[in-house]
Amino acid sequence: MGGEVAVSVQGLKKSYGPIQALRGVDLRIESGQIFGLLGPNGAGKTTLIRLLIGSSKRDSGEVSVLGLDPAVEKWALRRAIGYMPQEPALYDDLSARENLTFFAQAHRRRDLAQRVEETLEFVGLSGRANDPLYKLSGGMVQRVSLACAIVHQPPVLFLDEPTTGIDPKLRESFWQHFRRLASEGRTILVSTHQMDEVMYCDRLAILQEGELLAVDTPRKLLWTGEAVITIGRGGQTREFEAHDYPRKLPEILRQYGLEAGIDRIEIEQATLEQVVLSIIAEHDRQKREEN
Amino acid sequence: MSATLGRIGAMASRVLVQLRHDRRQIGLSLVFPLIIIYFIKVLLDALAGPFFNPSVYVIPYGAFLVHFITFLVTAIVLVGERTQGTLDRMFISGYRRLEIISGYLLAYTVLSTLQSLLILVELNWLFSLEYSLAQFAAIYLIMWLLAVISMILGLLVSNFCRTVGQVLPFFPLILISMIVSGVIIPFDKLPDWTHVLSYISPLFYANEVLQELIKGSNLLDNWVMLVSLPLYGVILLMLSTLTLRELD
Repeated sequence: MGGEVAVSVQGLKKSYGPIQALRGVDLRIESGQIFGLLGPNGAGKTTLIRLLIGSSKRDSGEVSVLGLDPAVEKWALRRAIGYMPQEPALYDDLSARENLTFFAQAHRRRDLAQRVEETLEFVGLSGRANDPLYKLSGGMVQRVSLACAIVHQPPVLFLDEPTTGIDPKLRESFWQHFRRLASEGRTILVSTHQMDEVMYCDRLAILQEGELLAVDTPRKLLWTGEAVITIGRGGQTREFEAHDYPRKLPEILRQYGLEAGIDRIEIEQATLEQVVLSIIAEHDRQKREEN
Repeated sequence: MSATLGRIGAMASRVLVQLRHDRRQIGLSLVFPLIIIYFIKVLLDALAGPFFNPSVYVIPYGAFLVHFITFLVTAIVLVGERTQGTLDRMFISGYRRLEIISGYLLAYTVLSTLQSLLILVELNWLFSLEYSLAQFAAIYLIMWLLAVISMILGLLVSNFCRTVGQVLPFFPLILISMIVSGVIIPFDKLPDWTHVLSYISPLFYANEVLQELIKGSNLLDNWVMLVSLPLYGVILLMLSTLTLRELD
């Protein structure tokens, strides 16, 4: 846990009129990590990302991205980050290459043409680079959008629900891209509300109604859920319910004296979706009690 | 500085590539005014009489067309950038407010230059205007300046609109601007209380200079109005840059 910190957030608050979008968020993302931000629609994921990229003004709290405060050093920050919005936000009548060139030109790189070609290759669009976007499929347009976010090789990437509305095969290829980018040392903050893909993340935060409910590795979050352990011995079975089963299992086995008679152990672990929903339900229950 | 100029160039070049692809917009900007002018010719021919000199009206009418269409196209295109999220993406990519506005102005100036020229050529052809080359050049300069100002006005209005539909309420204002500018009714025949509205309209300043030019005066004879026009543009540009919202 002692890695270099790329993104750090403390007590971040943001309201839109009477609606509190973020209620004091604390966050720390280490360099080279894929950090997932999971939460239902309206949880505050986009608000958090927009505060981190300097597109929105915070009410209070501290924010640092690569040591820069987005509210003060916005332009220096924007040279160092890539951003992929929820909607593609591209020019339909321009080709993938023209869109990419235009957004890359903001960064004034000497190797611009080379970077554009390499990025098109990276997202697998070299063959369709000259087609206007209105002739491309939705998935291809999403790939152009990703290409525009990474063309200038930023060390930190903010991806706002990049895989929404695309098929599972393309989704997997997107995550392969993210993995490759992270392996090059880039930090990626990716928001999503799709449970099945968050297992790809190094760390995961659950956001609900502007509050971070949990931050951990996906595997450890999974373990916080309930597991049903069934132990079979000589044709008889017994069930145990346990949270954090990797810790609890040895204890249960000790009750049996770790004897050779155990011939079967079944573990039925709650899915991550069930775990997240139970964390959210617990949070809602606590809120109701407070009120 | 060179980075800023580079980004303005990138903006202008992107908008020009889009314009080249967009035949409807080119049609609206270049062909539509020519058709309207033809019908103005038909109308004025029907009204023709011994005491009616259409040449006094046709140049200001042409100027109004430039003003109206340029305003309309710019406002709608810029609101489109906002609704599609591309304006936001430009900011996050590192384009700054003045660079975006300057890039747009530069690209649309190419279109407006052509538009003003075509309108003037058609007016001359249909109405056999007997102006000297110097007069034509001066009239062209004023129309071109008005086109640039109309673009900036379109940019300014787009800053206050979240959807294309929100641009619509500004159309009647442009029509009122036509009435109070002196293009249809001479300025001194307008009720006194409307004069304050006239001073707000860029068409008023353009019309004042054009009327003098039509009468055969020199461009500098009405220098106050001549200077007022670009000054109006600079103030509008400042307002437009300041009101271009970047943050949520």
